[in-house]
Amino acid sequence: MGDDNSYDIRTILTQMREEYWQALAEEESEAKETLECLVFTLGGKRYAFETHYASEVIRIPKLVRVPAVQSLIRGIFNLRGEITAAIDIRPMLGLPQPEIGPTGRILVVRGDNFATGILAEAAHGVQGLCFDDFEPVAAGSGIKTQFLRGHFSLEEGSVILLDMEALLADPELVAGEA
Amino acid sequence: MANRYLEIFCREAEEHLASLQSGLLVLEKNPARTDLLHELLRNAHTLKGSARMVGLADISAITHTMEEQLKGMERGERKVDAPAIDLLLRGADAVALITSALMRGTTPELDVERFVAEYERGELGQHISAEPKEAQPEAHADTVRADVKTLDHLVNLVGELIINKKRLEAKLERLKEIGYALPDQHAAELATFRGELEEDVLYLDYLIQELHGKAMGLRMLPLRTISDGLERLVRDLAQQLGREVQFQIVGQAIEMDRVLLEGLKPILIHLLTNALSHGIEAPDARAAAGKPRRGTVLLSARHQGNSVLVEVRDDGRGMDPAGIKAAAVARGVLDPREADAISDEEALYLTFRPGFSTAEIVTDVSGRGVGMDVVKKNIERVKGSVTLSSEPGSYTQVTLQLPLTLSVLDALIVACGGETFAIPTTYLQEIVKVRAGEIDTLGSGEVIKVRGATTPLYSLPGMLGLPERRDAGDAPLSAVVLKHCDQRIACIVEAHLGYSEVVVKGLGKQFRNVRFLFGATILGDGNPALILNVPDLFEAGRGVQRAPLSAEEVQAAQRRLKVLVVDDSITTRTMEQSILVSQGYQVVTAVSGEDALEKSAQEQFDLVISDVEMPGINGFELTRALRSTDQYREIPVIIVSSLSRDEDKRQALQAGAQAYIVKGAFDQGLLLETVQMLIG
Repeated sequence: MGDDNSYDIRTILTQMREEYWQALAEEESEAKETLECLVFTLGGKRYAFETHYASEVIRIPKLVRVPAVQSLIRGIFNLRGEITAAIDIRPMLGLPQPEIGPTGRILVVRGDNFATGILAEAAHGVQGLCFDDFEPVAAGSGIKTQFLRGHFSLEEGSVILLDMEALLADPELVAGEA
Repeated sequence: MANRYLEIFCREAEEHLASLQSGLLVLEKNPARTDLLHELLRNAHTLKGSARMVGLADISAITHTMEEQLKGMERGERKVDAPAIDLLLRGADAVALITSALMRGTTPELDVERFVAEYERGELGQHISAEPKEAQPEAHADTVRADVKTLDHLVNLVGELIINKKRLEAKLERLKEIGYALPDQHAAELATFRGELEEDVLYLDYLIQELHGKAMGLRMLPLRTISDGLERLVRDLAQQLGREVQFQIVGQAIEMDRVLLEGLKPILIHLLTNALSHGIEAPDARAAAGKPRRGTVLLSARHQGNSVLVEVRDDGRGMDPAGIKAAAVARGVLDPREADAISDEEALYLTFRPGFSTAEIVTDVSGRGVGMDVVKKNIERVKGSVTLSSEPGSYTQVTLQLPLTLSVLDALIVACGGETFAIPTTYLQEIVKVRAGEIDTLGSGEVIKVRGATTPLYSLPGMLGLPERRDAGDAPLSAVVLKHCDQRIACIVEAHLGYSEVVVKGLGKQFRNVRFLFGATILGDGNPALILNVPDLFEAGRGVQRAPLSAEEVQAAQRRLKVLVVDDSITTRTMEQSILVSQGYQVVTAVSGEDALEKSAQEQFDLVISDVEMPGINGFELTRALRSTDQYREIPVIIVSSLSRDEDKRQALQAGAQAYIVKGAFDQGLLLETVQMLIG
């Protein structure tokens, strides 16, 4: 510092600006390509939501039934000291409810108000889903679309993207409000 | 008090203070201009009312004195001279100091208490401008500040430790079983190891108990922290009601969990208010009955086992069982046939039923017909129980039994419907074995005799909507007898699994409206067990006999009720509006009586809430005007005012108002209760 010759504020600023724009451009192009999603099975079909909603995936522990609440709240369990609900969202999506066997998992998700556990028939891990394969939900397609954003058509079949924002804000998830 | 209201108040206060200041200065120069007095009075009065609304007692006291002085001037009883104006200006200055300190969130540079006292006496007293405070000796050098959240977190962590210790104990048991299956030689070795481990766990248990005690101790506060304000309350109420009362507090040093104390305060306010307004008679009446003119109200607290007993006792007129029964029948709370069957002791508890009140008109002081009901609700919230005892003509005593803390409970663990539940022992009377032959039918329900008393019998799984396993045959069934206030019910469970100290965990926001549950705990095996909220079981038991709502009632309940709020103070309007809106009422505001008349003609309201003193027509005139129209002849009107004389209340009732709430006693619950009582 202090040496006027080696310190050209203009050059440094230009450089910084370029780096900034470059970083932005990189981020954008990346985001355009894929969406990081947790993929799982509900009602025999493959579903997904963005990973930032998920806080963990666990095997199904003993669920304690809660009296006098709607049937989609299947019980509560002990998540390291926090009492957490296990919910079966399949009826909300108009899906059949096959028995959840040994491959069953609980996807712990964090909404604005509470953390809750979504029961799934199986979990398939995190995948980067390509936006080029994405089709937004078609209106009037006959199925329950309230909580869907669209689907990804992949080689191994389609993956439906859930609208977690809408799902987690639905009063049906809150005991006594359905 | 939400900061939002304080902010609104401070802004409103600024305006009134500015106009007080300029008006007073003009008056000082031209003492003959008494026409200014009315406007000044209105400023002081509005300020007083708004201050009361937001609970600023000091400002309300100062402005009250100012109002009295101005009234004196208006009536010509008080000279309009420099010293008198000076006194008024000092009042305005003090209010300005307090509000600006509030805005900054600091303490005002003024000994407010001393100022208020001196000001009430009309003494100029201390100078307001910066008076150097005496250096306070550093008395608490060996204490540190701690965030309440940190303390709560600490207590939660200790709770986790207790749960973990339970898991260790469960594993020790398992180890014993493993030992039995081993050949003798290994078994001996294992037994020694197990013995040592058991000692370690015992010591850990001891340490955790100590730690728990200390951690809880950090959250404990003495009763004194809430009882100081109560003395003032009793004094003011006694004055207002014309009673002579000696108020004693015993056991101020008894400590309780901070959370519990917060819940206790409104209960005590309610009970003391009742003691003064329903209990203690007027001095002359007392003298005539051969009692000392001065009544005694005693608030006492003491430890009993793992709980605290808080008693409020007055030596007033007591509770009259016959009067209570008659009132209960008259209000439709009780069937006349039922009334005959009720014992004198049971009759006292009728006062806890919703919709019960023995006072004839609704006033702010008490007799709102919702008071004791609310007391009961609040006690349920803190897992306490309440007992009443009284001797007509001599005393009334309300005893509250409260747990020391809400974070750890003693509970009975029961099996029911394939699940495990914890029942707090505060509600447990006893465990009984019932044979099928001992069950009688009464009406549509089943009853058993418990110590000679006929007790309703329910199946716990049935009540909770869980699968029932009730075997035929005469095998004895297990039932728990639960008590709540004066009532007893017996609930059949599959088995009881012993007593345990359970750590209470909240169920979180997803279960905020859940019925039957108070929380959950985690058992030794790591699985959760739900803690039952016993009062809900009593409700459910009663619900069985209650007729379902008619279609009309359901429809009426679904319609959003519309309320018109009339007040010239923006603080009051905003507060009342947001209180009502939060409860689902639709609210329209009006800034004056004229405005209200216009708005009420345009649409139909279900209720009108009005201030008294406003520019233009006042609240009484507004009420009369509304009463004279067909549209509003029957619509309830609540007067909310800072005028607290009986004369004003009489005027309000003559004008046709149904209820009168004094801003000094204003709290959110009071307004809501009154509104709910009038229009549901």
